[in-house]
Amino acid sequence: MTFEPKIVGFLCNWCSYTGADLAGTSRIHYAPNVRIIRVMCSARIDPTFVLKALHDGADGVLICGCHPGDCHYSEGNYKMMRRYPLLKSLLADYGIEDERVRLEWVSASEGQRFADIVNDMTERVRALGPSPVKAALEADLAER
Amino acid sequence: MEDLKIGVFICNCGTNIAKVVDCDAIVDSVERLPYVTVARTYKYMCSDPGQDMIQADIEEHGLDRVVVAACSPRMHEPTFRKTLQKAGLNPYFLEMANIREQCSWVHDDPVAATEKAAALTAAAVLRVAHHEALERRSVDMCPNTLIMGGGIAGMSAALDLADAGNRVYLAERSDHLGGNVARADLTAPYLDSARDMLTERVTRVVEHPNIDVLLESQVRKVDGFVGNFQTTIRGKADDGAPTDSVYDVGSIIVCTGYKEFDASRITHYGYGKLPNVVTSFELEKMLRAGRVTTKEGRVPQYVAIIHCVGSRNLEFHAYCSRVCCMTALKYAHEVKSAVPGAYVSDIYIDMHAFGKGMEDFYRRSSEIKTLFLMYEKNDYPVIRKADATDDCDMLIEVNETLSGETIEMPADLVVLMVGMEAREDSEEVAHLVNISRDKDGWFIESHPKLDPVATTTDGVYIAGACQAPKDIPDSVAQARAAAARILARTARGKIEIDAVFAEVDEEKCSGCRMCNELCPYVAIEFDPEKRRSHVISALCKACGACVAACPSGAITARHFTDKQIFSEIEGVLA
Amino acid sequence: MADDKLQIAIYWGAACGGCDVSILDTDEFILEIDKAADIRLWPIATDGKYKDIEALADGDLDVAIMSGAVRNSENEHMAHLLRQKSKVFVAYGSCAYMGGIPALANLVPREEIIERAYLNNASLEPGNTTVPRPRTSLNGYDLKLPEFYPRVYKLDQVVDVDYYVPGCPPQPGQAQAAITALVQALTGQAEAPPKGSVVGAYERALCDDCTRTKAEEKKVKRFYRPWEIMQDPEACLMEQGILCAGSATRSGCGVRCPNSGIPCRGCYGPAPGVVDQGAKLLSAVASIIDSKKAEEIDKILLTLPDFTSFANRYSVAASPLQRSHRR
Repeated sequence: MTFEPKIVGFLCNWCSYTGADLAGTSRIHYAPNVRIIRVMCSARIDPTFVLKALHDGADGVLICGCHPGDCHYSEGNYKMMRRYPLLKSLLADYGIEDERVRLEWVSASEGQRFADIVNDMTERVRALGPSPVKAALEADLAER
Repeated sequence: MEDLKIGVFICNCGTNIAKVVDCDAIVDSVERLPYVTVARTYKYMCSDPGQDMIQADIEEHGLDRVVVAACSPRMHEPTFRKTLQKAGLNPYFLEMANIREQCSWVHDDPVAATEKAAALTAAAVLRVAHHEALERRSVDMCPNTLIMGGGIAGMSAALDLADAGNRVYLAERSDHLGGNVARADLTAPYLDSARDMLTERVTRVVEHPNIDVLLESQVRKVDGFVGNFQTTIRGKADDGAPTDSVYDVGSIIVCTGYKEFDASRITHYGYGKLPNVVTSFELEKMLRAGRVTTKEGRVPQYVAIIHCVGSRNLEFHAYCSRVCCMTALKYAHEVKSAVPGAYVSDIYIDMHAFGKGMEDFYRRSSEIKTLFLMYEKNDYPVIRKADATDDCDMLIEVNETLSGETIEMPADLVVLMVGMEAREDSEEVAHLVNISRDKDGWFIESHPKLDPVATTTDGVYIAGACQAPKDIPDSVAQARAAAARILARTARGKIEIDAVFAEVDEEKCSGCRMCNELCPYVAIEFDPEKRRSHVISALCKACGACVAACPSGAITARHFTDKQIFSEIEGVLA
Repeated sequence: MADDKLQIAIYWGAACGGCDVSILDTDEFILEIDKAADIRLWPIATDGKYKDIEALADGDLDVAIMSGAVRNSENEHMAHLLRQKSKVFVAYGSCAYMGGIPALANLVPREEIIERAYLNNASLEPGNTTVPRPRTSLNGYDLKLPEFYPRVYKLDQVVDVDYYVPGCPPQPGQAQAAITALVQALTGQAEAPPKGSVVGAYERALCDDCTRTKAEEKKVKRFYRPWEIMQDPEACLMEQGILCAGSATRSGCGVRCPNSGIPCRGCYGPAPGVVDQGAKLLSAVASIIDSKKAEEIDKILLTLPDFTSFANRYSVAASPLQRSHRR
């Protein structure tokens, strides 16, 4: 049975969530592996959300916001842009493979692009296999 | 948590959802979740019977939270919020799961789609348990308006507002009203006089008792929030010294217009080098003076007009400046009128005759024997000085697409249709009133289709060319639309502030001030005596930037709290 | 053993001894403790043995104060034992509370730790192949060593903890305050704090008590190690580009570090209600980076070596990911 990754997506209401809706109204089909959580702006995304998602069993986390310069709240996506490399370096130190967490800018008119990103990320995470986190933490406990 | 009663309503949306997602299976999976009292499906949840069903269940079962798994919340969240309100429940006790646009419409495997829909619904159930009752609030609305820019858009908006009895402050940077339209002679497609149009506007504006015209004035600072702005405007006192005045307004309309593209940036057109290569505005000057001549004072025999100078060009501006095609045709008519024997050639890429009367104008332009030459984008005509033996001043080489031939056009006068550009002060203006600009420098509207004159900053509107290249009819339409939006608010006297905003818990705030500069709406202020930061809820747009950034977790985002989002994460991964 | 004296045990797991020293550092107050309590076990200071604790009935100990984290099976065994025998179990110090410095080892797989410590470093005799093992037979004797766990645990991952006293170590003044509060609660003189509380600390982040001035403008173009620049002693360290964990750290330590020109390192743990101190520090640092261009941001971040060890210096065991998941 092929491994079906479970990817949590954090999408900003004004651009990326709308873009994902557009993929829907355009009936563009894509992989069913991303489960979307709506926030108003990518700036709302606390790094804790990403860490918690991985802890709770997510195989990947996708973060989407408006293209730089187009943020509905002026500069929210820049705040995410500044957090992201720090988050990636933290994740690398915690041994989480690079392709499990991804940041993409998707505008409200980019339904096809959203679908392409989901498909691409699903395949990349599939190739990595299930996230080691949940199983590893449980295995540690079994050794005590 | 106290005992909750959650009702879950799963919409079939006809076959839109039900064809792919097994809604009954979702009912089964959801019934096992904590606090779920009722779970049912219906054909069209947003229909009257659907909403009535929700209302009936709320009343019968004493539900205190509702989940609707259906279309996107961007579609029907307001609808179902009203349903809750009618049933006596706070509208924020609703959460929707998007199982249509983001599930049944995009996945074809029913098993996977149902599994995903179940997870999304579970997430909504876990989230809604943490929702709190939120109330919208009212603040006073000042009926005055500040209009930035005294061009055709600014004046049109001013008149509508003033005629309705409201005070308008019309701030204009230069020493005269009229903007770019004042530089024009006639207008396309009906060849109306721009001057007559403007005179009517300017006279009415200047004489209107409700309009304060502030010439040579610049807006220096904007404080406050929608309904309650304090704007500082620097003008000239009687003795000529600069003087600042503060005006209280409830709304601001930005009508700052555009500037034209600098044609000297395109070297192969020779602007600035060849004396008889002029811009459209320079031709307008000649037309207003009633004489079209070359630099040497001769009457031109051959006049060439080149479209898309600086527009539709990846090197300068990729966009189309919208007005130039019809304006070029206008010049064809005006030149033929001023110089009856002249040969006019119109060198273009495409003829954008999109609006009312424009195709007819195009036809009439060819009827007056304008010569049309089409060139391909990126295959630009090249202008060079003619030889002494040629009977013209310059020669234009065009790779003409329709004939497939390379044609050399004579020209005594070349008119470059320079495109529109965002003004150099547009960045300053954007920061002043807290709006955004797109990659070309045009101000960004609230929604490109459904909300073209509002902006992301409540109370600030944009109208005219400053939003994107457009002609006079569209500028006036936008200006009057903005005025109408404002009048709708001033008529009520009060405005409602959204219930969703961020709040600082002063018991937790350490005064670190990490948040102070993060707010694009300047909604966070620091109290140096209390040593605490504080969110001005009327200004807050609930983006959540400060919430995520606060190192103490002292700021909460109403309706998007950490707890709510954590439970959504748990739900989608269950 | 007088009946009216409280029975207490003070013990150390994977610890450095600093927490025990912090209790000793309460100076004359230690005599008050001695007056009020029988210390049945305190390896740093008294003769008590494990079997003395094993001999007690459940609940015989009024308070067990354990510092240090759980690295091996002995630490865990003692945590369970003390929990079983005590009415109130206190996780004392950052290691007990969040994993502390020992939990930084969680960023390296166990096998690598063993290899580095016993097989592959410059101070070893070359050719050594001996590594510690839980059981071995030698000369007919069955020898046991505690098992080295795959990761370090904070105490509440192993036993039910009643109270936490944060700090590396808790400042003596706070140690005194915490112990006093506990004693008062146990002797019915005052109401006990709610179970699970952090005691001996305040309810806001360090900036509240730090006297350095905080400006509205917090933008830096690069970060500095504390020794790289002459700092302004009056101004917020973060504003000068010196990484300080204070804004994301619970106050109560007296701001000793920033007052001495050294940035706070976060040992008192996150502000109340915060799930992951590291994530909050990440957000704080990101907030002050003065750039909107991805390449420029990357360059600025190069001046921040080893961010993870700053973000989760004391809190790896308390973070959602807990340890390195490198395979």
